[in-house]
Amino acid sequence: MISPIKIWRRQKEIRKILGKKGKVLLWTKIYTPGSDFKKYAPYPVVLVELENKDKIYGQLVDYDENDLKTGKKVVSILRKVRSSSEEGVIAYGVKFKPL
Amino acid sequence: MTNLIGYHTTQFGELWDKSLFDLVEEAINGVLKQTSLSNKQIDAVFFGNMLAGVLENNLHSTSKIAEILKVNIPIFRAEAACASGGAAFNLSKTYLDSNSNKNVLVVGAEKMTDYSPEEAITGLSAASSGEEQEAGLTFPGLYGMMANFYLEKYQYTEKSLAYVSVKNHYHGSLNEKAHFRKKITINDVLRSPYVAYPLKVLDSSPISDGSSVVVLTNNQDMIKKQKYSVAVLASEVVTDTISLKGRKNLDEILATKIAADIAFKKAKINRDDINVAEVHDCFSIAEILAMEDLGFWKKGAGGQKIKEQSTMFGNGGNLIVNTSGGLKAAGHPVGATGIKQIGEIFLQLTNQAEKRQVKNVKYGLAHNVGGSGGTAVVTILAS
Repeated sequence: MISPIKIWRRQKEIRKILGKKGKVLLWTKIYTPGSDFKKYAPYPVVLVELENKDKIYGQLVDYDENDLKTGKKVVSILRKVRSSSEEGVIAYGVKFKPL
Repeated sequence: MTNLIGYHTTQFGELWDKSLFDLVEEAINGVLKQTSLSNKQIDAVFFGNMLAGVLENNLHSTSKIAEILKVNIPIFRAEAACASGGAAFNLSKTYLDSNSNKNVLVVGAEKMTDYSPEEAITGLSAASSGEEQEAGLTFPGLYGMMANFYLEKYQYTEKSLAYVSVKNHYHGSLNEKAHFRKKITINDVLRSPYVAYPLKVLDSSPISDGSSVVVLTNNQDMIKKQKYSVAVLASEVVTDTISLKGRKNLDEILATKIAADIAFKKAKINRDDINVAEVHDCFSIAEILAMEDLGFWKKGAGGQKIKEQSTMFGNGGNLIVNTSGGLKAAGHPVGATGIKQIGEIFLQLTNQAEKRQVKNVKYGLAHNVGGSGGTAVVTILAS
């Protein structure tokens, strides 16, 4: 189970990076994930360089296959990231969608 | 001068009838017998292991090894993800540099197949940054990102990567201790399912169990008494950011470049003096990057060079790479890997590599990487 305190600590940072635009620097598509992400597979993960040059990782959602390319313009959004057990806290975090 | 005087490894593979410490005990007993050393002649032990604490709530392994060896000596564990073995080796050499006339065991071991692939993958991802874990990235995913970047930048295809696995599986077929002994074709690789695009099952090293051990000594009488002995010319550990995104160049492992430069300088030899190398091919792309970053191939040329297969046993090249089968075919019990690599070079330099023995070898190199390049260890040995 993910510690609720860890989620609380991270979430203070997440709001600062929502709605930011950037472009895809690196991408892959995960077919064999770890336990917490099994039900989402396969899913693409991108490393995005924001307009202010900060780099952020996140999954790409609401995409089609043509969006999976270097240089693709994306925007950061808030989405459910994982829930490790039925009764655990649901972790929300940053994902990206294509622009 | 520190010398390596013995090497033993267990079988690598799915060893369901053996526990982590069954494997450690088997490896230690094997090397003591081979070198005719008694437990009382061992002055210290260094142990490379990554996952026992994460997967099976099993720590304080140092004391467990004391129990197995029936000794009361200093024993230390090194953890640097998949470079845990290389890190343990480096620490043991450093220990010998400051203690004269000592014999040291360097053990590496990992027990991974008791767990489902998802559990093992989650355990391994402990070696990536929190942000990478939170994005659902796995190690195949991180190397998949590097592979995509490399293939796009230098205009290669997935087929270019497949040559690495074909070569290493051929080598594995010649190594009785390898996890996989089966030769494969380019088409087998290309038809295997994706793990993390563009990397497929046959681009990836497996989840394995196994334990390997070497004996190091700086006792000159001991070196003279032993049948086999090779000199440790250099062992360098270099670190870098844990997160891939912190790296300036995404088509290289900087830690490997720095470690190799220092190691070659200390060993006072050139790249073309090396006849055999074990490089960290956790994924096919990793061997190509390693060959470039170690300075054997020019940056960006690897996708073409691997196609020529000059590093394959039997093709008459000056440098043969991953004769053990590499991580890909020999298997990748993470803590054991760095020791097995050094052990394979020992076998080659002492003409004990049997069916895969490369002729006239004088110098060998082992290259072990932790995570996506957060740690690199380069070791150079001479016969």
